[in-house]
Amino acid sequence: MTEIERLSIVKSAQINQALGVFIFIFGIIITIAMAFTETFVQQITDLVAGLLLMGIGGGMMWRAKTILKKHQSKEVN
Amino acid sequence: MLAGIDYFIVIAYIVGMLLLGLYFKKFVSSSEDYFLGGRSLPFWAIGMSIVVSDIGALDFVGVSGQAYRYGISVGNFDWVGSVPAMLLAAFIFIPYFWRGGMYTIPEYLGRRYNKSVRTIASATWILFFALDLGVLFWASAVLLNVLMGWPIWISIISTAGVVGLYTYFGGITAVIMTDVVQMVIMFIGGFALVFLSLDAVGGWENMVDKISTMGPEYRSHFDIIQPVDTKSPFPWTGILFGLTFVMSNAYMIGNQSIVQRCLTAKNEWHAKASMVFGSALKMFIPILVLFPGLMAVVVHPDLADGDQALPMMIKSILPPGLVGLMFAAFFAGLMSSVDSLLNSTATLFTKDIYEPFIKQDADDKHYLKVGQITTLVLLIMGVATAPISSDFPGIYVAIQTFMSYFQGPLFAILLLGIFWKRTTQWGGLSALVIGIGFAILLNVFKANFFTIEDPFLYISWWSFLLAFIINVTVSLVTKKHTDEELKGLVFSSKIITKNKS
Repeated sequence: MTEIERLSIVKSAQINQALGVFIFIFGIIITIAMAFTETFVQQITDLVAGLLLMGIGGGMMWRAKTILKKHQSKEVN
Repeated sequence: MLAGIDYFIVIAYIVGMLLLGLYFKKFVSSSEDYFLGGRSLPFWAIGMSIVVSDIGALDFVGVSGQAYRYGISVGNFDWVGSVPAMLLAAFIFIPYFWRGGMYTIPEYLGRRYNKSVRTIASATWILFFALDLGVLFWASAVLLNVLMGWPIWISIISTAGVVGLYTYFGGITAVIMTDVVQMVIMFIGGFALVFLSLDAVGGWENMVDKISTMGPEYRSHFDIIQPVDTKSPFPWTGILFGLTFVMSNAYMIGNQSIVQRCLTAKNEWHAKASMVFGSALKMFIPILVLFPGLMAVVVHPDLADGDQALPMMIKSILPPGLVGLMFAAFFAGLMSSVDSLLNSTATLFTKDIYEPFIKQDADDKHYLKVGQITTLVLLIMGVATAPISSDFPGIYVAIQTFMSYFQGPLFAILLLGIFWKRTTQWGGLSALVIGIGFAILLNVFKANFFTIEDPFLYISWWSFLLAFIINVTVSLVTKKHTDEELKGLVFSSKIITKNKS
């Protein structure tokens, strides 16, 4: 793998990490918003939406972290 | 007006967008980074961004409103009006633009025809985008004013500040990545709205029964194909010839803000895949946008203005939290439209006007600076002209109509440029100029030529056809290009199967 390719992978991972953090935080906020709902259906909707956002955001963060760990350790080597 | 948790969510979203956008500043060190994201972005992000740019907040509200008034036939715009065109763009046109290392569509036209065609096409896009900016700033300010209670000028400056900062510093990477977040949120909020709306109307079959018995004006609400004499603006002839054959192709293949995204792809495979992925996402848009409008017929049957259907459904159906999130997504939709216009106009000006006519062979940092300064100037122009839009409520419609007249002739010269070697620079130039003139003529005398009130679909079809015929005729009697001049610019079957890295 060339240095340009490695930098491109690191760049993508850093972007994904930033997006993941943003989406994850919004997932937390939507889950907390359950406390302001009135009906059971509304609670479940907020819960599912919040968990989905947290899942997507968390997944992006985890994947980015794995890639960064792998490729930044190559840089050290 | 929003309150409590929803208010907090909209504020958090705006601040978060600004921070996220500014984070992408670290990836901009050259003009290629600024205009094309360093040609390093993945297909999924570009595909999402194409869909979000195509369906901005104004369209979101407008399409729901049309579904409320005319029924499911408006879904044609996202199905037959987008998917085939996106696939055609993916496999035929995008590979040429990507392989040629192009920044703009007019740049292709310049290489295929001549500098005049490039300049006319670019100047028309710049004019259209610049006029649109003021309208979008005004629309964003009205939304913030209604939702948050902020004064209109504070709203305009806040919008301009947030969008301007991240577009100025982050370039197209910031534009595309903020679209990704919006797309995720719009889909989750949209599906929640559809699910809860279906629950509120007692299921799909119940809704169909209720709407069908509401009166004769609702009888064709579930007909996706409308007859020629329909009162809606979507007769099947207009949908087939104007939308499917011309406007959708012109939009997906000839619109700078759409195609520029594909050119940011890390390789040709990603450039093609971005359009294919975008077309798959597009199939879901009518479900998210059109269904709430239809269900509003049952839940809110007496709305004076169909465009209120979606905001009313969000307010009455979604729980706290998701209301704020959906309105934040609306606002982000407007921001997305503004940032796309800013970046695309800066690209068109720098690459098609500044570089060839004002300063050639400058170093790359110079063009990066020009792009950033153009963004700033456009931002100030947009803010200054925003109040004018409030005085002319029809200005947005007028601008969109103007654009639809330009797209027919533009698509004719793009299509012949790729598929017919014999087409010449004079064929392209005359087709573009006469085609646009003919479209304007048809618009001025539309009452004499057409029976429906808003014949934009028919006008785009006839102006396309005339431009096509003129291009062929003039090309046959003028000097053809050599094979060397056409290298990499005209169709070869290898383009479909072979990718270049």
